Amino acid sequence: MKQSSPPPLATWMLGEWNEALAGDLHEEFRAGRSAVWYWRQVLSALLIRGARALRIRRAALLFAALWSMLVPGWLFMVAGIERSLHFNEHLSRMTWPWSTVCDLGLMLAASLLFLWAGILLYLFADLWHPDHFRLRELGGGIAASLPAVLVLWLALIVLPKHFVAVQAAAESSTARTPTPLEAFRMEQRRMVWAAHEGPALAHARLDDSKNRAIADTSPRQAVTDMHVPAVLVRLPFFLVLLCTLRSAEPRSRRCPS
Amino acid sequence: MTERSYLGEFELMILLAVVRLGDEAYGVPISRELERHRGRTVSVGSVYAALERMEAKSLVASTLGDPTPERGGKAKRYFTVTKAGLRQVHETRRVLSKLWRTLPELKGENP
Repeated sequence: MKQSSPPPLATWMLGEWNEALAGDLHEEFRAGRSAVWYWRQVLSALLIRGARALRIRRAALLFAALWSMLVPGWLFMVAGIERSLHFNEHLSRMTWPWSTVCDLGLMLAASLLFLWAGILLYLFADLWHPDHFRLRELGGGIAASLPAVLVLWLALIVLPKHFVAVQAAAESSTARTPTPLEAFRMEQRRMVWAAHEGPALAHARLDDSKNRAIADTSPRQAVTDMHVPAVLVRLPFFLVLLCTLRSAEPRSRRCPS
Repeated sequence: MTERSYLGEFELMILLAVVRLGDEAYGVPISRELERHRGRTVSVGSVYAALERMEAKSLVASTLGDPTPERGGKAKRYFTVTKAGLRQVHETRRVLSKLWRTLPELKGENP
């Protein structure tokens, strides 16, 4: 027996973005088209819409990809500042939960600073054109980055943990002294661990000789590092930038989707 | 210098279907018309994507009708071809006809 209404999940996926299209598909289904036909039409419409959105936002896509490439370099700088200020020693003297709060707070502030700098740079050309630029839109982008950063932290904590743990287990079995780049990757993993388990346990996982070797890594090596931990650290930044750039963009640059 | 762009195959078919349907040109009949003449299924989403592209170029205009229960309470979007759209249709036809006339007879390619 044929259903009287189209598949609800497909209708929900289609959403409200094109009322006329939704009505047309409903009408055709009522006229005798199958559920398979309906599903195929919905998926095809979503694919077309996605491809169009990507084409329209290719500038934002390219910028987000390039800016997020710099993330390991930025984290490298933050780690350098932490070391020069003996931040870890201060943290180790703190009691829980303040040690965790301070460590997470620093990483969150560093991430927000990096994202906001990216948004400002992307909108740099518009800043000098009062006709194009609206402070409210910039504020919207910055406000949108806050919940997005929370998603980022979830992604940093949940997703990379498995990969990081597997790689670290493999590397800890080798007794040799790590190269500077390997040591820097360990530092990235420390940041992931710190987000998940707190700084004390994260530091305990790496010995001092490995931490000292980080000082010999160059920022260029950090930026061009394409190993799994570095890519995983970049990915949430890329996604957050892609979402927030749309909110921060002046209306004149937005195209209808 | 004015930029001249010719219609793609799919856009031309849609414009001709809209002209033929007149006041009844909305998504469902346009898609059915295309399916009947092409002999294969048409994605309604791709029809809308092409129509929206042509609307941005002022080749078609659209108006929303009233919502109806058989459409799940959704309104119809009626399309009409603008003067610029009709000019494009004629221009594309003129160029295609000219090109066809310059071809030698295609043996064994009966339509």
